[in-house]
Amino acid sequence: MTHTDSTGTPPAPPKTSSSLWAWLGLVPFFLFAIAFLLLPSLSIFINSFQAKNGSFTFKNILDLSEPFIRNAYWNSISISLVTAIGGGIFGFFLAYAVTLGGLPKFVRPFITTFSGVASNFAGVPLAFAFISTLGRAGMVTVLLRDTFNFNIYDAGFNLYSFWGLSLVYMYFQFPLMLLIMTPALDGLRREWREAAENLGANSFQYWRYIAMPILLPSLLGSMILLFGNSFGAYATAYALTSGGAINLVTNVIGAQISGDVLNNQGLGYALALGMVVIMSLSLIGYSWLQRQTERWIR
Amino acid sequence: MKRGSIWAWLWVVLGAIYFFLPLYATFDFSLRLKRGVLSFAAYENVFNDARFVESFTFSLQMALWTILVSLILIVPTAYWVHLRLPKVRPFVELITLMPFVIPAVVLTFGFIQVYSKSTTFFGIALPSILSLDFFTLPGLMQVRDFVSSRTPITLAFPIILIAGYTVLSFPYMYRAVDTGLRAMDVRTLTEAAESLGANTPSILWYVIFPNLRAALLSGAFLTIAIVVGEFTLASLLVWPAFGPYIQLIGANRAYEPAALSVISFGLTWATLGLLQLFTRGQQGQIAGAR
Amino acid sequence: MAFLELTHVNKLFTQGHYAVDNFNLSVERGEFVSFLGPSGCGKTTTLRMIAGFETPSSGSIKINGDEITNKPPNQRQIGMVFQSYALFPNMTIAGNIGFGLMIGGKSKDEIKKRVGEMLDLIHLPNYGDRYPYQLSGGQQQRVALARAIAIQPQLLLLDEPLSALDAKIRVELRAEIRRIQRELGITTVYVTHDQEEALSLSDRIVVMNSGKIEQVGTPFEIYNYPTTAFAASFVGQLNLIPITVADAASGNCAFNGISLNTSQPTSLANGSSAKLALRPEEMNFGKVDGRNLLDGTVESITFLGSIVRTRVDIGGFMISVDLFNERKITLPQVGEQVTVNFPAHACWILE
Repeated sequence: MTHTDSTGTPPAPPKTSSSLWAWLGLVPFFLFAIAFLLLPSLSIFINSFQAKNGSFTFKNILDLSEPFIRNAYWNSISISLVTAIGGGIFGFFLAYAVTLGGLPKFVRPFITTFSGVASNFAGVPLAFAFISTLGRAGMVTVLLRDTFNFNIYDAGFNLYSFWGLSLVYMYFQFPLMLLIMTPALDGLRREWREAAENLGANSFQYWRYIAMPILLPSLLGSMILLFGNSFGAYATAYALTSGGAINLVTNVIGAQISGDVLNNQGLGYALALGMVVIMSLSLIGYSWLQRQTERWIR
Repeated sequence: MKRGSIWAWLWVVLGAIYFFLPLYATFDFSLRLKRGVLSFAAYENVFNDARFVESFTFSLQMALWTILVSLILIVPTAYWVHLRLPKVRPFVELITLMPFVIPAVVLTFGFIQVYSKSTTFFGIALPSILSLDFFTLPGLMQVRDFVSSRTPITLAFPIILIAGYTVLSFPYMYRAVDTGLRAMDVRTLTEAAESLGANTPSILWYVIFPNLRAALLSGAFLTIAIVVGEFTLASLLVWPAFGPYIQLIGANRAYEPAALSVISFGLTWATLGLLQLFTRGQQGQIAGAR
Repeated sequence: MAFLELTHVNKLFTQGHYAVDNFNLSVERGEFVSFLGPSGCGKTTTLRMIAGFETPSSGSIKINGDEITNKPPNQRQIGMVFQSYALFPNMTIAGNIGFGLMIGGKSKDEIKKRVGEMLDLIHLPNYGDRYPYQLSGGQQQRVALARAIAIQPQLLLLDEPLSALDAKIRVELRAEIRRIQRELGITTVYVTHDQEEALSLSDRIVVMNSGKIEQVGTPFEIYNYPTTAFAASFVGQLNLIPITVADAASGNCAFNGISLNTSQPTSLANGSSAKLALRPEEMNFGKVDGRNLLDGTVESITFLGSIVRTRVDIGGFMISVDLFNERKITLPQVGEQVTVNFPAHACWILE
């Protein structure tokens, strides 16, 4: 790594001129970040406190408690929670099956590639795939109706509802969970299990006292990631509900941009701000959990 | 440790059913344009549609521009941070994580507010970049009113769109390049090259870039997958990209959207399959255009 | 009856390749036995079969008369120390050491007391509340040892526990392990590829090669009376001088026409080619009556600290001669003509 001189101290840091060059090398990146990240964010932040006439106000923030908006936030948060937890649990089991389940060697790379594809498969293609399967004239719907005389729509299922959308979201939530958890599961060293068995633990005890505690930060962190992923999703909901049927924050903001619905600029900003706040909190939670894991696993 | 195999198989099978059933159903549906007969008519319609070709080409071009801009921004940054300015790393990483905190919808919102009209920002008048007329690149078509009857934001060259896509690609590009740099122990290689007399440009050219090829390819492929399928930015900024095109077809036709879904899925699969081929087993990156 | 008995233990991997081939061993209670051999010789596989992480293809393993060959590992009451320490990162040191006791359903007070005893035993009395990542490698390995012993196992297994540590720590920890083992009297099996470790720690050594046992004996026996060529050359330095057997009954042979006496008869026929095995430290310079003598030229001298190793060309063949260092020593010069002497009982004929 670094050379040391005979007195055992590392050499002095590089001269100012090369540091200067390094700083200059970073300038384009930072300029870009300022122009296209900082400014838009600041604009949103500042403008959410501005009324139509330009004066400072809290009204926009307060208007967030309007029933329509509250409903949107409630829906967005609910669907994100549901798909984060559901996707998290099922994705974890799938990841476990693939890493520790003793399956043939070809299974894992296949599932990993597929997960990479599936986690990117969203918007109209995904919506349409599910319409073809579980829509009113979808393949599975028709199959169940004709073969088992069971009409899922009569039984209360509706693809275009909250639960239908959740089911569709799972399509990119599972794979995301799988892709994140597989390395974490790889990190469970075989010797820990053997040492535990040596000391008398059975499978359940190993999982309870050792494996789960070690995996927990990764698990929670991934679910937070899933939450954020779902919260910020726009294309899929738009495609499935054609922009309106289910009230979601992303849809409302989108409508706001298109000038369709609210026509209250300030409120749009406040919505966006609310979103950023929620996402930031998620990111902070995620980083904290990441650091926990890194501390233990060397 | 061969226990639990049955359980493992169960999960894999359940997962497989969940994932493949919709794909199969879509494929089946896409073949039924002609009543009573299975045919590829829907696919023919799609491929014969001029807008399909145009929007796909447009998105592909956007992807290439995005890759270019992203590489120019990210690679030197990652290199300098890795080699000389490790203290800046947390900042840079935070910036590359921004697309997570600021989802595409919000980002678009911010773009429009900052760049679509002359705004006064802390008393400084900012010209509207979006409404500036720029040169048209040969082969790049004009904006057309595609998705809705709204007045499109007039711009001959989609600077903002590319900027937005670049921001979206940051996490994956940066992570790919950073992983690549770590894997090849940049510091030692640079020192070895320096001791043999090389200067910085030579080092970058002969040592760094060749060893980064896999990482760069991986980032590039991911960017293509993201950009081509992207909907939010393209639709809200009113650009005739592939995403809005699919949405348009989905709203107006019955069988062609199914064909498009299958095509889109196949394309993504091909892209990521190629990525696996080139990186050969490096831990999969995660993409998500939601 | 021996405490640990392995009888005809075999482990077959695919393609007809035996990882462990007909392994037979009896270990007495309280004994310290090492498995010594190069990588891939089957020593770790055998250890893992004793622990229960691998199952023998055939053969039986008994502890104290009980057949444990097919028992699951968590029912064997065996303590194991791994090369990579394998401490549970999410638990404190105290938690790690007490883990086996907690699983065994002991009371909190009992666990606390025992953990305290263990910490004293490994000389880390105030480390109970720390986490593994806060400890050095040597400390972690000591904790691993304490964790394995805390449950008072009937058998202690160590799988190359010192390989990951610095040389100096290795030597210190070696002594610690031996001290603790002697104090507690636990039957121990130790796997290593380092002969110095095996020699210094063991009551008996099992030298292994390609899945088979080459020789079993005390360190003294293995070193001075190796029964196979492999055992002879694997442990310690060895000169193998090409000779022809002159008189099989008296153990006399000839090198380049020079007559050399060994003290043991050989089963080889007169006139056959063989090797004369001779340790470098058994030789000295100078013409001494009653000893075997060989003339040669000094080719190189290497100062190794406590030992001075000279390479001597005795007529087309190089041998190593080791001398103990003394401050007043006069070393031969490179190129000097010397006579090497060694007693008859120091050498023996090998095939």
